[in-house]
Amino acid sequence: MRVKVISVPVRDQEKALQFYTQKLGFVKKFDVPLGEGNRWLTVVSKEEPEGTEILLEPSPNHLQEAKTYQQALFDKGIPYTQFNVDNTQQEYERLVKLGVEFSVKPTEMGTVKIAVFNDTCGNNIQIVEML
Amino acid sequence: MSFYQEEITRIKKICFSNERQLAAVVKTKQYIDNNLDKEVNLILLSNIGFASKFHLLRLFKKYYGMTPKQYLTDKRIEESIRNIKSGMTIAETCFSVGFECPSSFSTLFKSKTGFSPSEFQKRATFTKSF
Repeated sequence: MRVKVISVPVRDQEKALQFYTQKLGFVKKFDVPLGEGNRWLTVVSKEEPEGTEILLEPSPNHLQEAKTYQQALFDKGIPYTQFNVDNTQQEYERLVKLGVEFSVKPTEMGTVKIAVFNDTCGNNIQIVEML
Repeated sequence: MSFYQEEITRIKKICFSNERQLAAVVKTKQYIDNNLDKEVNLILLSNIGFASKFHLLRLFKKYYGMTPKQYLTDKRIEESIRNIKSGMTIAETCFSVGFECPSSFSTLFKSKTGFSPSEFQKRATFTKSF
């Protein structure tokens, strides 16, 4: 058994694709139409093109429970998932310049440094640097 | 302040209030990161981290969730994957990440990645050509 895909719920797949590629720097891997405007849409890290894919999944648009769960996490400031970075401070500064909004600025938390931003698609996402 | 920010503050107080211990393990981990190609052992690390061998071992495991040896092995394999992908030969890769014996490198590489270094190299070359 292997981990190949993890999903992130998004309310607008096209907007999510723009954010995850243009701001975060991921690259599109698969884009397969699934009817009624839905897509099997995945992105991967440029540094690990064969690594785990992120599925930008439109579940909040189709399942009220998914929307409720996503909204509850967002309102409490809880990250839906996290991505690793080499340097949280540098990544924070790069993303702020691109207009990304952070709810948690770079903060040391034991052996990691974290920060949390709004992905504009309904989620808080955490970046983590291992110190 | 959001619920999550409050939780960060609360957990920090409970788990990460001992700055001396944190400084010791972070320094040890950074030494490992910068010396993957050299011989690294617990006695050396205890001198770097200013703690006794067994205390450091316990602290490292407490804060990083694995022993220094496990961390070193994972980092070496991670680095060897990058080196093989960048075109380094398997022998060069083996020595570049601090292994002295190609057969023990090969065994460990296979146990961690599921492929022997040469199988991995073939797959990396094949993927690159497409």
